[in-house]
Amino acid sequence: MRPASVSAIINLLEPAAALAPLTAARPVGMLPFGGRYRLIDFRLSSIVNAGIKNVLVTLPRSGRSVADHLRSGHDWNLNTIQGGLFLSPYNDLKLIAPEKKLALIHHYYDDSIVFLKRSHSEYTVVMSTRNVGNIDLKALLRYHQERDSAITAVYKRIAPDQLVAPNTVLSLTATGLATAVVPLKQVQWQPTEAVAKSMAVYLLSTVDLIDLLQAANQRGDLVNLEQLMRQAVAQNQTNAFEYTGFQANIHDLHSYFAANLALLDDANFRALFESSRRIYTKTHNEIPTYFADGARCHNCLCGPGGTIAGQVRHSVLARNVSVAAGAVVTNAVIMAGSRVGAGSQLTNVIVDKDAVIGPNLILKGTPKQPLVIQKGQQVFQQTEVMSRD
Amino acid sequence: MCEKMLGIILAGGQGTRLGKLTKGTAKPAVPFGGRYRIIDFTLSNCANSDVETVGVITQYQPLELNAHIGDGASWGLNGLNGGVTVLQPFSSSEGNKFFEGTAHAIYQNIEYIDQQHPQYLLVLSGDHIYKMDYRAMLRYHQAKQASLTVGVIHVTEKEARRFGMMNTDATERIIDFEEKPQHPQSDKASMGIYIFDWPTLRRYLIQSFASDKSLEDFGKDVIPFYLSHNEAVYAYAFRGYWRDVGTIQSLWQANMEFLEPDNALNIGDRNWRIYSKAAVLPPMRLTATSQVNHAMVVDSCYVAGRVDHSILSQQVIVGAGSRIMDSMVMPGATIGEGALVDHALIGEDAVVGDGAVVQGTRQQVAVVGYHEVIGGMQV
Repeated sequence: MRPASVSAIINLLEPAAALAPLTAARPVGMLPFGGRYRLIDFRLSSIVNAGIKNVLVTLPRSGRSVADHLRSGHDWNLNTIQGGLFLSPYNDLKLIAPEKKLALIHHYYDDSIVFLKRSHSEYTVVMSTRNVGNIDLKALLRYHQERDSAITAVYKRIAPDQLVAPNTVLSLTATGLATAVVPLKQVQWQPTEAVAKSMAVYLLSTVDLIDLLQAANQRGDLVNLEQLMRQAVAQNQTNAFEYTGFQANIHDLHSYFAANLALLDDANFRALFESSRRIYTKTHNEIPTYFADGARCHNCLCGPGGTIAGQVRHSVLARNVSVAAGAVVTNAVIMAGSRVGAGSQLTNVIVDKDAVIGPNLILKGTPKQPLVIQKGQQVFQQTEVMSRD
Repeated sequence: MCEKMLGIILAGGQGTRLGKLTKGTAKPAVPFGGRYRIIDFTLSNCANSDVETVGVITQYQPLELNAHIGDGASWGLNGLNGGVTVLQPFSSSEGNKFFEGTAHAIYQNIEYIDQQHPQYLLVLSGDHIYKMDYRAMLRYHQAKQASLTVGVIHVTEKEARRFGMMNTDATERIIDFEEKPQHPQSDKASMGIYIFDWPTLRRYLIQSFASDKSLEDFGKDVIPFYLSHNEAVYAYAFRGYWRDVGTIQSLWQANMEFLEPDNALNIGDRNWRIYSKAAVLPPMRLTATSQVNHAMVVDSCYVAGRVDHSILSQQVIVGAGSRIMDSMVMPGATIGEGALVDHALIGEDAVVGDGAVVQGTRQQVAVVGYHEVIGGMQV
């Protein structure tokens, strides 16, 4: 029998303010992760690993960085003659002038509806990107088909002390159905044992989703797709599908920083990258990374194309990063193309792409509040950076 | 200009002098420099020189090479007006079209070449490490109104005994050719890079294979034939970094040179990039016990041991307490714990078991073949 056809919508309209300044020029889904990837790669990889060929990515703004990363979809094998990769830009209503907003009423979901209708798919997965994980969407589909609920929502069971305010949780019945997706701060009960943290991944029939979006258009709704899905969960019988692999919730600088460094743990790394479901990303042609005489690099993930002459400990370095001799980098996340000058000391720091840190500077953050050097920022004087102790 | 020049890469040789390393693969597919295969340099030179149509002639153990080349997209050679075509022997009503020599391989592919309507034929080897702008050589060929231009490098008298040597007059016109001479008359060694006027070469090849079949090999037969037929044959001197990596020793040596940050090849030059098929792999991991100095490491390596003056390719594992020195480790090889690898080339997916020792010397590099298992796991 021909396998059921599935479409996917990746919603990049996610809360970004707490991740500023990293999100100044990119949506949350485009945040670099693990020295090699962008958050969206984990969702795209789940999609292609499940054989899904029809993907719509909804963008907050122009989507320049997204289009640059995805190009034709070739790196995810999405440039096939069946289906393909589609983009829907300018979904962030904050950017839209009031008079234009009026024109959007009753049309906000048009792109998605057209995409879904043309897909002729039976099911659709709706997902956002800030919950990193390597989810088996084939298993999700099977789980959904074996039960007769309208929607299936994905959750990960985590200990209450690991929950933070921006998390959303599924309210589960005794029989394992989900009745609501609730922001943690609205949860009435005090969680004592593991709770079902929402992974913000939903599966439902495409026809139902089209109905849902058309109804929202008719009402004149202008709300995020994630909000619509939460409403749908509350209004329909919903299965809850448990995901058991590595998960990280990226909602602010601290969680972003911690999630990157969490990959230095062997078990986490293996869970995310060494499963049979590979993680795909845009390929780059980079030269090997050169470790000079005197380099000390311990407990690190490094991308290619770098030059390491100094000391790097417990850090995640992306491609084309250079660390000059005498520099000491500890607990750092350094993105592609950045350079650390000789004799500089970085501790608990996030360095965005293509930044330059001059020689003999001290940059210090804390694990809770990592110091951020912005994309393309050039720091040559100690007074330009405020260090925290 | 370059759309009239078709590139042909001769990648069919067995590469017997690479011993174990080419037992199951073609020489141009042998890994180099951590994340390349030898043919990447020639393919990238074509792409960077606007030679957009390239035929790659394969014959010996071609599977890995064919998989590597694919549709040429990794080098940007999958354009609308070009592309890479892998040319393998095939059978026809005239019999099987296996290749008996370099020129014979061109003759057997005349139909493909004619389809491309080239004016010039650029004949290249797939086993050299270098960066070269073939456009400059074509301009030279045109300026000299040559029928054949031979790329040459300057070598010492001792090296000359390994090469085909070109004796030229004052205008760089080649007047004599000596294969591996004991007493070389010139210092200009053929690089195995030729630009031919295609109609002329085509005519000669067809005549030859219709009669005495004498034009089998470019060096041995075609160049002497051109000289004796008074064709205008010129030497084009290339002055950049160029290495023939046809032997274990030269392959190891070129890898060690590649490690040097001031290597004349200048691999980091983004104006003349060397492309390769990029696998999607997680970043490299260096554990708390790793010590990596004067070394190159690439994606998806796992290093817990010590690496000095060596190159690790993709997905290489170096266990704790192991030491890698003056060596090149090819993709997928696993070095266990407490092992020593010294002056060695380790083949793809080889296993050097816990506590095993693979030790060569500067004069005699040790080689572990593809999938070979050394020590540790022997029953």
